Amino acid sequence: MVRVLHRLVLMVLVIWLAASINFLLPRMTDRDPIEERLAQALGDSGGSAIGIEEMVAEYQSKFGTDQPLWKQYISMMGDIAQFDLGVSINYFPDRVATHVMAALPWSIALLGTATLISFVIGTILGALTIWRRKSAWLARIVPLFMILAAIPFYLVGLVLVYVFSLSLGWFPPARGYGVGVNMDWSWTAIGNVIYHAILPAMSIVLAAIGIWALSMRGMMVTVQGEDYMNFARAKGLSNRRMFWRYAVRNAITPQITTLVLAFGTIVGGAILVERVFVYPGIGTLLYNSVLLVDYFLIFGCVFILILTVAVSLMILDLLYPLLDPRIRAGGEQHG
Amino acid sequence: MADAAPPAAPLEWGSSARFWRTILLYLGRNKSLAVGVVLLLGLASLVIGGYLFYDVKLAEPLSKMPARPPSADAWLGTDKHGRDLFAVLIVGTALTCKVGLLAGLIGVAVGTVLGFVGGFFRGWIDAAINLLTDVFLAVPPLLILVVIAANLGTSLSTTDMVFVIAALAWREPARRIRSQVLVMREAGYVNNARLNGTSSFGIIFKEMMPNLIPYLMVSFVLTVAAAVLAAVGLEALGLGPQNEPTLGMTVYWAMHYSASLLGMWWWVLTPVITLVVLFVGLYLITTGLDELANPRLRAKGA
Amino acid sequence: MHAVVSRGLTVKDLSIVFETDDGVVEAVRGISFDVQPGERLGFVGESGSGKTTTALSLMGMIDPPGRVVSGSAMLGDLDLLTLSPREHAARRLVDIAYIPQGAMNSLNPVMRVGEQVEDGMIDHGADLNKAARKARVAELLRQVDLDPSVARLFPHELSGGMKQRVAIAIAIALNPKLLIADEPTSALDVISQRQVMQTLRRVQDEMGASLILIGHDMGLMAQFADRIMVLRRGLLVEAGPVRQIFRAPQDAYTRELIDSVPALERRPATAPPVVREASKAAEPPVIALEGVSKTYKRGLFDRKGNQALKPLTFSMASGTPMIVSVVGQSGSGKSTLGSLLLGFIRPSEGRVLAQGRDMHGLSAAERRERYRTVQAVFQDPYAAYNPFYKVDHGLAEPLRNFGVATRRDDILAKMRSACELVGLDPDQTIHRFAHQLSGGQRQRLMVGRAMMLGPKLLVADEPVSMVDASLRSSILGNLRKMKDDLGVAIIYITHDLATAYEVSDYVLVLYRGRVVEAGDPERVIKEPQHPYTRLLVASIPWPDPDRHWHGDDAAEAELAALDGAGAPAPCLVRSTLPGFTLKV
Repeated sequence: MVRVLHRLVLMVLVIWLAASINFLLPRMTDRDPIEERLAQALGDSGGSAIGIEEMVAEYQSKFGTDQPLWKQYISMMGDIAQFDLGVSINYFPDRVATHVMAALPWSIALLGTATLISFVIGTILGALTIWRRKSAWLARIVPLFMILAAIPFYLVGLVLVYVFSLSLGWFPPARGYGVGVNMDWSWTAIGNVIYHAILPAMSIVLAAIGIWALSMRGMMVTVQGEDYMNFARAKGLSNRRMFWRYAVRNAITPQITTLVLAFGTIVGGAILVERVFVYPGIGTLLYNSVLLVDYFLIFGCVFILILTVAVSLMILDLLYPLLDPRIRAGGEQHG
Repeated sequence: MADAAPPAAPLEWGSSARFWRTILLYLGRNKSLAVGVVLLLGLASLVIGGYLFYDVKLAEPLSKMPARPPSADAWLGTDKHGRDLFAVLIVGTALTCKVGLLAGLIGVAVGTVLGFVGGFFRGWIDAAINLLTDVFLAVPPLLILVVIAANLGTSLSTTDMVFVIAALAWREPARRIRSQVLVMREAGYVNNARLNGTSSFGIIFKEMMPNLIPYLMVSFVLTVAAAVLAAVGLEALGLGPQNEPTLGMTVYWAMHYSASLLGMWWWVLTPVITLVVLFVGLYLITTGLDELANPRLRAKGA
Repeated sequence: MHAVVSRGLTVKDLSIVFETDDGVVEAVRGISFDVQPGERLGFVGESGSGKTTTALSLMGMIDPPGRVVSGSAMLGDLDLLTLSPREHAARRLVDIAYIPQGAMNSLNPVMRVGEQVEDGMIDHGADLNKAARKARVAELLRQVDLDPSVARLFPHELSGGMKQRVAIAIAIALNPKLLIADEPTSALDVISQRQVMQTLRRVQDEMGASLILIGHDMGLMAQFADRIMVLRRGLLVEAGPVRQIFRAPQDAYTRELIDSVPALERRPATAPPVVREASKAAEPPVIALEGVSKTYKRGLFDRKGNQALKPLTFSMASGTPMIVSVVGQSGSGKSTLGSLLLGFIRPSEGRVLAQGRDMHGLSAAERRERYRTVQAVFQDPYAAYNPFYKVDHGLAEPLRNFGVATRRDDILAKMRSACELVGLDPDQTIHRFAHQLSGGQRQRLMVGRAMMLGPKLLVADEPVSMVDASLRSSILGNLRKMKDDLGVAIIYITHDLATAYEVSDYVLVLYRGRVVEAGDPERVIKEPQHPYTRLLVASIPWPDPDRHWHGDDAAEAELAALDGAGAPAPCLVRSTLPGFTLKV
């Protein structure tokens, strides 16, 4: 339980940190997002921007720019604590939350599936490289995946688009679903979504398999040196039991810790994959809001992504004791 | 078991001639380190050669006819703004490496100090540093960087970029060095050094530092790799310096104009392949160095 | 007994080599032996003697680069050495079972104990349904003196002795013909060691299996084995019935092994601790503990913590050379006491005074200066040297820091004489790296370093537990010499009663962080009174087959009663020592 509590405190600190940066930096650099947006909107539309005054009013009432800085800060923190992310500058008068929540399911589905697939394949491959040192196909394929792991997802994505979409025409190059497809829960729609998700998911899976394989390999080397593996062998246990119940079962626990640590990096990498495929998730939204200098939307995206990472990590923290009886029984294992 | 395997001898620091011979012999056995070094040396000589023998000013927009495929005139073609992509490759690689190296250097330096202070002196200062590291490690790094870079706006120079990246680059080295120092401060020779009347300063620099060198090397390469990754990521999101032709910025423009859809494969492949060579080279060097610093992996031959 | 009479194990002309980069190492060279059913054969030798390799070849567990080059090992009609890996795996547990070294880590940490006993049965096709298997597990656990409810526990919930019993239960599950026990008690303290070995002996008698015990402790062999084989560098040095080996050893090496076991009979003469320099007796004590205790807390949320050392008060007068032993098993708090004496850790309560001054009230410079008079020798002589430097670094540093010698040749001369003091050749020592010296050389040099610095107090924390038996007495001799010739007060921390008896003027027995018995070694170790000390002494395996290893059931019961009572056991002070004040 203390682990989860610890994680919770960390996450609150992280969000506070991100919010503070978002609050302080523009003020330190003397930039006014509203004015910038105003200038941009005027430039784009030739002066006929709709609702600019309302937006300015909302902005001023929200932050009370006439208020002292610390009051502005506290009121902003209060809003965040209530999950009030404010109003988008670009899509005014839409709330930031509306856009973020519309994009979030896409990202979670894509990223969750891709992470799960790569975790399973990578972990098994990593375990097998140590277990079957003589296997020729493993000796060839696993280093390949490990090298792929060094390459950012989005670069893999760029190559995949070029080969499988533009050259071979097997998969669509962009978007989350086909133009004109009705987004109900029909099989056609679901099939269409999956069809569109294959390439972006592939670019994450291809690059992430190696990450899991590499760390699992390391764990397996450690586990294989343990006395209990030697004793299991001296018991003449079946190869299958030694692999699954002794080796993998013990190596998987620290592998989960690696999953926790790598999660942030994977999420970060996935932002750009969405951008490559113009996938309707948080990554693309974030990219667009950067393009349009929409500070509130940028912060909203970052906030929700950190929150998602935090929730996933907390689920893992809750799962961890199930995997390791030493933590289940003995409470904390510090050190 | 205990009968057969002798303990792995520690690194030997003998005369310099033997040192270099040992390194060469070692490279022969440690293939991933050797290949990684060759890849990066190749890239480095391309860049240096380019600066010496090629007109790198062609990396600026409107230098040549835009959107041309590779030809005798522009070996790697040109982009839609009329940049010569071969010149971009040279300048961009140099810029990206500069950001990576400088941010990596700052990151390792700060991280080492934090890790050392925390691990060596323990107590409340360690708890504070540890919490700080944990907080920063819990964030997807790119997200915090996005917030910073977006708020700093589009006027970033590569030097600003170095500091933005370095703001997060210290985390991994701090953690790595701290855990190493924690192990090392319990070592018999550190206890003996205290009995020798050696000061804390002396223990840190004379006793512990020399034994940390392999870990520092690994940390440095890892941090540089992470810094390059972060820098290219930010640039590809359009958050990097706008007026310098970095590799990430090239990827950004290629995506922006959907270069693939336009059939301009050279525009996509030039930065992608260069980055792949850079990342794979760095990756191979870290795995190679890891094997060197971690005798357990060495002994198992894994 | 059985319808088919098994003739035990017969090994002929067994040779095993290891093909390494540096050439072929002959690990086992043409060894022949046999073990009859119900017999206990001891394999003795130091590491590298080939004893473990021989056992592994019987298990079919020699991995490349190792290779069996010749020989046969007949178990009944079966030649173990001709089996394929798969066939061999099928014979394990069924015909031949292994009881591993390192009780602590031999069980799968994420599996319940019961499952780990069961899975061997399942994989070897024992024709039992689930209920019958569970019943068999319960029966096996009872057989090794464990409660059947242990089956539901995880390994980390068991003590070391319990884990080793589980390992025995696993090994006997399918009634094998041959048991191989590879230093089964090396990770246990002497009390659990005796209890586990008694269980093993009983279980083997019940099964009528042959047993091979691998070990290096001649005491344990004398108490356990029927016959003994002495191995050295892959060769059979000597073999014979246990009494013959101990009474009339034929080979000098065997003799050496037997003599290396410290025995209570030999106690070399040493100067009685007297106040040497009356002028100095008035000075503050060399070291004084005032109600010092240490509590370790695990994490922020651990309010209570674990009190490793209960409040302790003693002092050692200045100018009175003496050796005081602190004897305790692991977890007794003896290492914590060592670190407190050296000022490496802060006491939770009380003060540690070195020459009248609180170790933790000093400035950084004063604390460094303190080590001019307080020195130590630690257990692991390899870790004591910084691998980055040659060994002279660790010797020259204190000379420079304490201003003992500043000029290069003065330092060199001091270092050379330090080597000579402990019988090392300076030219073969000073300019080498630690890994180029043997373990014994490293530890002797550490003792030489301490002698060279001439401290007033030396803390020797298990200085001989990692060196070969043959060097033990020479290092202990050096400690005595420091006391007698240099007038150093020494605190000798050890788990080993015999060396404490051999070397000390006064003994403190530490049990669960508290001194339970104190006095001169003749009384405390020869005629112990506290139940813990009695049990400890009775559990030592003596290198004499006729001295029965009976243990002390009465002491065991008394100790259990004391532990259960909740009130701390009273400390028995058997005698006093001039200059040493212990407050209880």
